[in-house]
Amino acid sequence: MTKAERRELQERQRATKAAAKASGPSTPATKPGATPTAKGTTQSLASAAKKSGKTADGKPVKGEQEDTSHLHTHAQVDDTTRGLRIFSHFGLPKSPSVTKGDVHPAIIRVGLQFSDFKITGANARCIAMLTAFKAVIQGYVTPPNNTLSRHLMTHLSPQINHLVLARPMSVTMGNAIRQLKLEISGSDIDLPEQDAKNALCTKIDNYIRDRIIIADQVIQETAGKKIKDGDVILTYARSSVVEKVLLRAWEDDKRFSVIIVDSRPMLEGKALLKALTAVSIPCTYLLLPSLPSVLPHATTLFVGAHSIHANGAVFSRAGTATVAMMAKAHNVPVVVCCETYKWSETVRWDSFSKNELGNLSVLCPLYDLTPPSYITAVVTEVGVIPPSSMSSIPAALGRTIGT
Amino acid sequence: MATDPESAAGQRIVEHLAARLRRRQVVGSRETALETVLVLRQVVSKARFSNIDQLVDTIRSVGRKLVEAQPKEYTVGNTVRKVLHHIREEYHTATRGAAAPFPSKPTFSIAKFVSQGQPRKQTASQRTSHETRGVLRENDADDPDAFARALKPVFMEAIQDVLDELETVYDNVSKVAKDHIHSDEIILTIGNSSTVEAFLKAAASHRKYTVIVADTAPSYSGREMAQSLSTSGITTVLVPDSSVYALMSRINKVVLGAHAILANGGMFAVTGSLLAATAARAHSTPVVVCSGQFKLTPQWNLYHEYGALDFADPSGVLGFEEGDLVDKVDVVNPYYDYVRPEMIDAYITNDGDHPPSSVYRLIKEAYDDEDYEL
Repeated sequence: MTKAERRELQERQRATKAAAKASGPSTPATKPGATPTAKGTTQSLASAAKKSGKTADGKPVKGEQEDTSHLHTHAQVDDTTRGLRIFSHFGLPKSPSVTKGDVHPAIIRVGLQFSDFKITGANARCIAMLTAFKAVIQGYVTPPNNTLSRHLMTHLSPQINHLVLARPMSVTMGNAIRQLKLEISGSDIDLPEQDAKNALCTKIDNYIRDRIIIADQVIQETAGKKIKDGDVILTYARSSVVEKVLLRAWEDDKRFSVIIVDSRPMLEGKALLKALTAVSIPCTYLLLPSLPSVLPHATTLFVGAHSIHANGAVFSRAGTATVAMMAKAHNVPVVVCCETYKWSETVRWDSFSKNELGNLSVLCPLYDLTPPSYITAVVTEVGVIPPSSMSSIPAALGRTIGT
Repeated sequence: MATDPESAAGQRIVEHLAARLRRRQVVGSRETALETVLVLRQVVSKARFSNIDQLVDTIRSVGRKLVEAQPKEYTVGNTVRKVLHHIREEYHTATRGAAAPFPSKPTFSIAKFVSQGQPRKQTASQRTSHETRGVLRENDADDPDAFARALKPVFMEAIQDVLDELETVYDNVSKVAKDHIHSDEIILTIGNSSTVEAFLKAAASHRKYTVIVADTAPSYSGREMAQSLSTSGITTVLVPDSSVYALMSRINKVVLGAHAILANGGMFAVTGSLLAATAARAHSTPVVVCSGQFKLTPQWNLYHEYGALDFADPSGVLGFEEGDLVDKVDVVNPYYDYVRPEMIDAYITNDGDHPPSSVYRLIKEAYDDEDYEL
């Protein structure tokens, strides 16, 4: 090797070492314009053949040995490439294998069901969580020199953290917990412990009954009025509320047909398909990319929501925004069926501010944000509301903004 | 039709290709185009004709047969039209070669172009070695083959030109790749178009960027694309179709492939293209389509907004493993989307970049008016 070549090699090795030290596993820039090595890709396509990264002259890049070790941990997504960096603030779903503190077995079970996606959907998760909380409360014993109203919340905190580790908290869970905190801190100090616990459990039951079950019944009636004989209802994935609306309308002897649009990763539409065909509703099933072919035949689009926001945007299963966009382009009214307890005072404008990633090897956000311009109306238990009036929902419930 | 063995052999070749087209044994725009050119080359080399109209009729009837065999593969018809166009051009050059090349200064105007078509190129100077000096003997009673003998070599060259163009499509489209893709960009693509693949790989040798590939259910052809791109060293991320809208705000460009480019500038493309294009429009992201010019089709999509001209196997959507659901449910699996010209910003072809509004001009230049109906 000539002196120049030796010097070049030394420079390269020095740069590699410095870069590897400075930024951990990110790609060291050995030569500007070198062909991008396969490092970034093996992190994004775990199933792709792992090539040993090569620089232009075939020498393996020093930093690669460190990289491969990182591939197997479920830590924060390492940002070697801009493509993955855009979602790196979400972290990755972790299985709650490490249980710190006293976590009640009911909570552990619910956590496992969440992380395995056995229980999905904002309503289902909230109800499962509250039911587990009832078990926790019943099993709780106030330590001496403490009051239930002050200590119970600290007792519940590790339980909540465990659930968050399983899957990021949904807005419904957050609102329910906030309400529960209010009830706990407002519980009467003079009540004997068992009575206080029973009172709390009754309050939880009432919350579920009022904000979810009865709200759904009101929504079924209100939305049902929008369905007429001969309608072709379009829906996406599986919303528990929309399912109830359609089943109730069919029971009320309305004769319509349904088009179910479905998509990976969760393919929830199949479950809805089974529920609807069980009562002989005529259904058409297709995957998301085929949507434009059936839109000319649809009369209304019904979707559910994970949460609704003060600016009128709807946060819902990934793909809903696409369906709403295409429906709007074909002048199909977009109706969102959503209980008021899903309301969140935050303002969101794109799907990046808060989202969840499903799978490690495939970048798939589980939710997306439908902007208010695509939505025709939101059906809640306090009425049918246009997206521009979403910020007035708490007022309709008799509360000030922020509760 | 003549009964001599040569034309019977020609018929056999045509029937063979027609059968393969009908049975979908030849699939894909470029493959069908190549096969069609090869068949036409055989037909022309074996054909007997004593004037140009006979040859045109022969080629036209071959074209009609092939198009009827598989009307959904537009490139069959396009290739036939292209060959006819080249043949007529060679014929006009040869017959006018003896006359003075530039009789008068031609006046060019758009109005003239629209009414009269492309002014015939005056390439007489290059063809002097090939043309026969003196008059071409058409319809000569004593020597019916004189015309064919004189012009066949020229025609075969013309067909070879068409073949060359088809074979170099990927290279030519990729030439401009580095101008369209910039450093550190995030590009979205769907499906498994070979033209797009060549385009992206060519850019990768000059630029470092990321590609997001959508699954493209239910064919999941996006997966093959992602696999191929990542093994050639491009950072690739595979996403399900449902996240296209969610990610669009971070995407710099959308690059799509086409199945056929229609006369109004719209296109038929694999299902999912319309979703990607509409989402891109909602975010003001540019949409470019990479395609060879052999996909230009002088047809329109007047009667339906959706391009459901072909349906694929529904078991990809809802398979028989779903049990008794299969009987109770209608399953739809269209293979193509129609994308309106307003959704597309540019077509990157093997012969330059063109906006959708000038597709009509490309079609007028590439094909002759009388061939639109084969």
